[in-house]
Amino acid sequence: MSVAEARTAVRPRSSRIVPLLVFAITIALIVATPFLPNYYVRVVNSLLIYILLGIGLNIVIGYTGLLDLGFVAFYAVGAYTYALLASPQFDLHLPFLLILVIAACLGAITGILLGIPVLRLRGDYLAIVTLGFGEIIRIIINNLDWLTGGPQGIARLDKASILGLQIARPVDFFWLLLVVVVVAGVVAWRLEHSILGKAWAAIREDQDAARGVGINTTNAKLAAFATSATIGSIAGAIFGASQRFVSPESFTLQESVLIVLMIVVGGIGNILGIVAGAAILILLPEVLREFAEWRILFLGLLMIFLIIVRPAGIVPRSFGPEKLIRGLFGK
Amino acid sequence: MTLVFQSLRKEYGEVVAIDDVSTAFAPGMIHGVIGPNGAGKSTLINMTAGSYTVSSGSITLDGKRLDKLKKYQIANSGIARTYQNIRLFDQMTVIENLEVCFYPAEVAGTWKEVVWPPYATARRQRRREKCMEILRFFDLQGYAEVDAGGLPYGRQRMLEIARALICNPRVLLLDEPAAGLNHHETADLTAKLTALRSPDRIMIVVEHDMDLVMTLCDSIIVMHHGKLLFRGTPAEVQASADVQLAYLGTANDIDDIRAAAQDRRAQLGIRTRRRS
Ligand SMILES: Nc1ncnc2c1ncn2[C@@H]1O[C@H](COP(=O)(O)OP(=O)(O)O)[C@@H](O)[C@H]1O
Ligand SMILES: [Mg+2]
Repeated sequence: MSVAEARTAVRPRSSRIVPLLVFAITIALIVATPFLPNYYVRVVNSLLIYILLGIGLNIVIGYTGLLDLGFVAFYAVGAYTYALLASPQFDLHLPFLLILVIAACLGAITGILLGIPVLRLRGDYLAIVTLGFGEIIRIIINNLDWLTGGPQGIARLDKASILGLQIARPVDFFWLLLVVVVVAGVVAWRLEHSILGKAWAAIREDQDAARGVGINTTNAKLAAFATSATIGSIAGAIFGASQRFVSPESFTLQESVLIVLMIVVGGIGNILGIVAGAAILILLPEVLREFAEWRILFLGLLMIFLIIVRPAGIVPRSFGPEKLIRGLFGK
Repeated sequence: MTLVFQSLRKEYGEVVAIDDVSTAFAPGMIHGVIGPNGAGKSTLINMTAGSYTVSSGSITLDGKRLDKLKKYQIANSGIARTYQNIRLFDQMTVIENLEVCFYPAEVAGTWKEVVWPPYATARRQRRREKCMEILRFFDLQGYAEVDAGGLPYGRQRMLEIARALICNPRVLLLDEPAAGLNHHETADLTAKLTALRSPDRIMIVVEHDMDLVMTLCDSIIVMHHGKLLFRGTPAEVQASADVQLAYLGTANDIDDIRAAAQDRRAQLGIRTRRRS
């Protein structure tokens, strides 16, 4: 009783402080990044790409409750779309924005194509099969030398530019990624709160009962796979453009697992959680760079610790972006 | 509008759960389904709602075959149900449990909702007003923003019925709505269900609580070992020796029961007037 009372007594103040703090840190980071050395800007860019991937995968895992371990396939589709359409490989040099659109479409199509065979699967079975799909795509890329350059990958990708404005330096990509992450985040968040998002949640809670209230679960799930894959593919295209080199090595199972971990550690189903999860799993290894071999051990321990003390993630589902915004304005 | 079962049969492997059931349900009435455990009552509901497939025979509403449709299509044909074991969307709020039922009607506008917030807000508001109306009817308005899984048991039962009702179904199937409710809650439920009787609606209630069934229903069918044993008004059911024997459970086979009932009547010198 007294604990509960104490909590409610503290809440009004702390619910204001946390959002303000988060907001201040975010703004400070954004403002400071362009002035950091290139190395650090690249780290921030990598963070943003993972946040983008997390936002995409979260639609399937967090909103719809389907454990997809093959997400990296869509990331690869986007990266190779850019590599094939803007490089000496086939001497194609399409504009960056056009490629983004193509990558988005191809992502949606592969999302649906890989989604159809797994519609009936859930839980562990789904995880295993999607894991297989991810690997299949990587192995295909590895072996289709004439198309993808095989294990060597594709190098010398074009410099990206948007309407004549060149996007080449890490800072340029920082701004581009920031815009894309914000747009993707807002879209995902609005989707979550749309009628489709509620259907996703219903499927997550009880698929059969969802059908019982008239939800065409096939369509709703395919919509989730498609939007999720679209975001993954866009992330891939930007990744390709920023590296100006792609090879199968970037699209291993490890990447898929890392993104899933980000979501689980950060807070499944919550975009704020994904940001937190990405910050920990992407930035911490950088901070711990000096302790090379100890890094994995330390991360493992941290993960176990977090899962014990915060089983619902660092930022649980109940503390969504709307709460943060409301907190900011003190409502 | 009539819901018709024609020579309906359901087998689970060796087990025959429903055996040649033919009957019809008229609108404007509340139809009770009673019978001992394992009689096949839930199976009837599950087949009608499309949760289970039909082994043979047919289910038609207004002459339209239902048993060939997918479950969500059946729901969208105006058939709504509750489950014997409550199945809510536990981690969604009470009002969201109702809102999600607007999916079939509103999903086409999803992208407009995403890119045009005023549209989303307006639509959401309209949706939530309708939901609040139903919640008020079931005295759940104070729980609108609570997670459904956290509701007390009796409230969960009510919410499940509310969810079935939100899209104004033509057929409402309730599988043991009073199970686990206390006396007070059952009385409340009876009153609410009575108020839901409508000339445009077929209501079918599976229930063990005989008080509720006898008070509420206009017509009752009695199931026993997958067969339709008896159909009649509450008074007729209460008077039926067949039914009494079925509930006493002395004989397993329906023909044995009939024979036994015949014998008993003969012993007592009762002249039988057979229905169906
Ligand atoms: N999913 C199922 N698989 C196998 N047998 C089942 C299944 N559901 C019900 N049954 C069997 O069918 C018969 C009728 O069950 P049910 O319709 O649940 O009865 P009631 O609701 O009248 O208690 C029982 O013998 C039961 O064991
Ligand atoms: Mg039952």
